[in-house]
Amino acid sequence: MSKLLTELSDEDLIKEYQDNNTPEAYDILVKRYKDPLMNFVYRFVGDRDVCADVVQDTMIKFYLNKDSYRSFAKFSTWIYTIAGNLAKNELKRRRRRIIFSISNSDDERSPQIEDKMFIAPDKAADGTIRNEIIQKALLKVKPVYREVVIFRDIQDLSYEEIAGITGLAIGTVKSRINRGRAQLQKLLKHIYRE
Amino acid sequence: MKKIYNDEENKFSELLKDLKDLPKIKAPDNFEYNLLTRIKNKNFGNAVKERPQFSWAKFLAPSAVVVITIILFFIFLPSSRENNNQLLQQTKLRDNQSAVNNSLSAKNELKNQQSTPSNTKLQSNSPGLLGSNDRTTKPSVRSPLYDSRSIKLDDYISGSNKNQSNTNRGNIVNNGEEPSQYDGFIVSEKPDKKTLERYRAVVDSIKKAQLKADSLKKVQK
Repeated sequence: MSKLLTELSDEDLIKEYQDNNTPEAYDILVKRYKDPLMNFVYRFVGDRDVCADVVQDTMIKFYLNKDSYRSFAKFSTWIYTIAGNLAKNELKRRRRRIIFSISNSDDERSPQIEDKMFIAPDKAADGTIRNEIIQKALLKVKPVYREVVIFRDIQDLSYEEIAGITGLAIGTVKSRINRGRAQLQKLLKHIYRE
Repeated sequence: MKKIYNDEENKFSELLKDLKDLPKIKAPDNFEYNLLTRIKNKNFGNAVKERPQFSWAKFLAPSAVVVITIILFFIFLPSSRENNNQLLQQTKLRDNQSAVNNSLSAKNELKNQQSTPSNTKLQSNSPGLLGSNDRTTKPSVRSPLYDSRSIKLDDYISGSNKNQSNTNRGNIVNNGEEPSQYDGFIVSEKPDKKTLERYRAVVDSIKKAQLKADSLKKVQK
């Protein structure tokens, strides 16, 4: 039975879980999506501990509201929408915390200066540091652009899927991706200088 | 359209390559264990928002405020204040009376116009051809200070006003044949008979006393 379940598509698994309340179907879907969701939420929020909580909350929402999924949509679209909304809520919460605490805002400002001014190009060539710089720059891009850039360029989702997740028109998605990339390139100009 | 976006992708090729090469973040090993424990313990945390429960106190407090404001509004309604104002009532009465008088006079004039022959009506309709019998209708407003019902006191005393007869003057001074519509703001009170008789008795006793005093003086002389 479990062998058969692993061979099923996401949509068939969720149907199985909805119709027969099969816990194995839920487990398989959690196993399939925990890593992609972790990657997306981490790139969007930038905190490993927080992103683990957000993904857990996503899975709990999926567990509690399994019946709100409709079969005409892709499961990936549905689960990414939940994760995206929770990640945005987390960002809002963090922003509120930053506004109300003076010490936090000081901590936030210092690395920004460091990123732009003090990283030498030879250091930037090192893979791990380069990745860190890219991640920090990504967090400085506006959330509306950051979200679509992550979906497209990191998660490799199609424009249609992104449009389904964000609820935007494909044209809007494309233009937002473009603007996000432009912002990111501008922030990383010391790496991509010619 | 595709070409444009392909060109854009070429423009950001290095950036896109770097973004794709970013290390994939994986969930911690205990992720599933923690998730199952949370589900078993029903520890749903942020995933479930608590819905506000209904309580009578929360419902009654705002509704009481609304009811009180409605009651106060009806108690202190501005129209009820107007009704109590005596001065405003009097002016309203006066306005109503003058309006009634105007409408009556207008009706009379209409009757007069209907009784006149049709030829004159036709003539009156054509501009510039008004006959001698035709009357131009002016709205006659009977003001409380109507000319024939008023008198200049100085002229009345000196007798220089010859246009008015003595009877007319007397009528005017005694408030005319008809009771005046305009009383002004002076409250007119009719004298009480008993008080008049009392005053008369006092005056008579004083006169008698004076007569006695005069007779005594004559006797002394």
